[in-house]
Amino acid sequence: MHFNVADVPQQLVNGLTLGGMYALIALGYTLVYGILLMINFAHSEMFMGGAYFGLLWLNILSKQSFFTGSAVGLVLLYAISILLAAIMTGVLGVLIERFAYRPLRHAPRLAPLISAIGVSLFLQNAVLLWVSSRSIPFPVKFPVYQYTLARDGSGSLAFTVLGASDKIVDKLGQGAHAIVQFSTLQIMIIVVTLILLFVLDTFISRTKLGKAMRATAQDRDTAGLMGVDINRIIAITFFIGPAMGGVAGIFSGMYYGNIKYNMGFIPGIKSFTAAVLGGIGNLRGAMLGGFVLGMAEALASGFISTAYKDVIAFVILILVLIFRPGGLLGESVVEKV
Amino acid sequence: MARSKRFVALVAALAALALVVAGCGGTTETGGEKETVTVKIGVTSPFTGDVAALGLGIKNGATLAIDEANADPELQELGIKIEGFFVDDAADPKTAVNAATQLTSDPKVVGVVGHLNSGCSIPASTKYNEAGVVQVSPASTNPKLTQQGLKNVFRVCTIDTVQGSFAGDFAVDKLGAKTVAVISDSTPYGDGLADEFAKQFESRGGKVVSRDKIQLKDQDFKALVTKIQGLKPDMIYFGGMYTEGGLISKQSKEAGLRVPLMGGDGLYTQQFIDIAGAANAEGDIATSVGLPLDQQPKGQEFKAAFEKKFPGTNIEAYDTYAYDATMVIVEAIKKVAKEMGADKLTTPAGKQAIIDAVAQTDYDGVTGKVAFDEFGDTTNKAITAYIVKGSAFVPYEQ
Repeated sequence: MHFNVADVPQQLVNGLTLGGMYALIALGYTLVYGILLMINFAHSEMFMGGAYFGLLWLNILSKQSFFTGSAVGLVLLYAISILLAAIMTGVLGVLIERFAYRPLRHAPRLAPLISAIGVSLFLQNAVLLWVSSRSIPFPVKFPVYQYTLARDGSGSLAFTVLGASDKIVDKLGQGAHAIVQFSTLQIMIIVVTLILLFVLDTFISRTKLGKAMRATAQDRDTAGLMGVDINRIIAITFFIGPAMGGVAGIFSGMYYGNIKYNMGFIPGIKSFTAAVLGGIGNLRGAMLGGFVLGMAEALASGFISTAYKDVIAFVILILVLIFRPGGLLGESVVEKV
Repeated sequence: MARSKRFVALVAALAALALVVAGCGGTTETGGEKETVTVKIGVTSPFTGDVAALGLGIKNGATLAIDEANADPELQELGIKIEGFFVDDAADPKTAVNAATQLTSDPKVVGVVGHLNSGCSIPASTKYNEAGVVQVSPASTNPKLTQQGLKNVFRVCTIDTVQGSFAGDFAVDKLGAKTVAVISDSTPYGDGLADEFAKQFESRGGKVVSRDKIQLKDQDFKALVTKIQGLKPDMIYFGGMYTEGGLISKQSKEAGLRVPLMGGDGLYTQQFIDIAGAANAEGDIATSVGLPLDQQPKGQEFKAAFEKKFPGTNIEAYDTYAYDATMVIVEAIKKVAKEMGADKLTTPAGKQAIIDAVAQTDYDGVTGKVAFDEFGDTTNKAITAYIVKGSAFVPYEQ
């Protein structure tokens, strides 16, 4: 137990970054559950797969001098790699649905769950055997800065940008200390995550396709009778979720500096928890749940105990579910009898 | 019905076939004049997963020793062929116990080199003890392993009490550290080492400003780093392995906490530097058991033999220890074969005699003179500190 009030802003930034990644992954769990009432346990491998696809494209595109020569090139290098990897992960998701879940759509509800666990194991072992069992470094080719709000030597507020080898005391004088720092990567993760969440939310609530998705979630058979192409809607759902999860995987690779075949397991469990916390089946709930869980973890880790941070996060989950069985924002799915 | 019966019969036949195939290779074969007896030395460490770099190093060191033993005229004279039986323990205690069961259920296995992790060696050691098979660990440094009173358990590496107190002295004398943040990875190895370090550091007048435990496979240490940063320690000490250690080094330097991270032999591998990033790892320190390879009595010979057998592979922290651990068992096999005859090696009495012979070991290995005290610990107490300079570990010199 150690409470230092000066750490609070920085811990909130740490939690926000972590929560953003959880939120991106949690979307996939929630969307699929909303439409199929199925928990897609292979989703954690979409996160992992996205990271590997991202590295693949980075390696391919880095061979072109255009992408490594200039600042614009570097931005494009990462933007295009992330986009292509997201599309590939989305396609992988669609294929998995087509071959592992669709044949089981009318089977008892446990069957697709078991199938999903099988897919998850298959994908992990495929990477383990065909790529490597070791951590692979994930390159960040652009310089990473710390955007720092601080008190300078005289105690007044100041803002400065620190490079990888800059010391804050050299910039702002003796006795200067940071109040809160955002690194380039943290800003990128938080901003892109918020944009994606906003776009997806708008897509679901404002477009015709989004309406069809909501209708399918509400009542699949009736939606089908009203002319909604159910298979197409489900395929789209299995594209969007994995694509978002894949983006989160690339962010994780960049943020932590390496990727591994089993990297999806823990974030997958945590993000599933986030989806349940927010109310499984509810899109905004998944986003909220992700951020709440990320914050809870960072604050528990920083102020109570690193060893117990997961315990604390899950205690929060249990408490929420005791008082609000449907999660923070409740289910948007009407339970079919 | 008939079809399903036929199917069952087919499966049974396949299973039987698999058993026959698996059972091959342990038979005595006629080699020219006399019968050759095949005995196996089990080698178990993590060959996959987070600490595979060190585990595969152990496999390489043991492989080299087995190859050399088989080329040894003395063994050929005795009519003995040695095979390595390699089992992955995935650095996981449960898998390690299964690996031990797998090894001891093969009657040909007369000794085991393993494990890497103390958390694996300790539970597995009871299995080896029940089976009456000698266990020589090349790398498990937690004191508990040899304090269980098991007569068949030995290790060729220095224990954490020695390593931790060496590190504590080092931090005070060489780094001039007054305050330290101590982190460990909730394993017997990591916690034990960190506690030994902290004890020695405090007894020398240093102050431990925080003591945290992380969980294996965690990636995000930003919150922990933020907390530690507020405490302004002179250094961080991490008891654990290189994956988590590398991430902590990376994330602390990135957050602007530019103090050296120090740890034990679990960090002493190039992989630590790769994960942390060379710029972040610069100045970090790892202590490791024994002397640097170049200063080890037969270090150069080992290096030459290793490069010939595994071109392009790094020599990891425990390769020479695995080599010596294997050789200790080979020497014992020789001794027992001379006394009882090669065909008695795989009997319970033979295996017991091997345990007794290992206890009496007096062998000039690559790492130095190998001999065991009454607990089964090595009498070699050398520890070396290595510092990261220009993206490689080099012996620390002041």
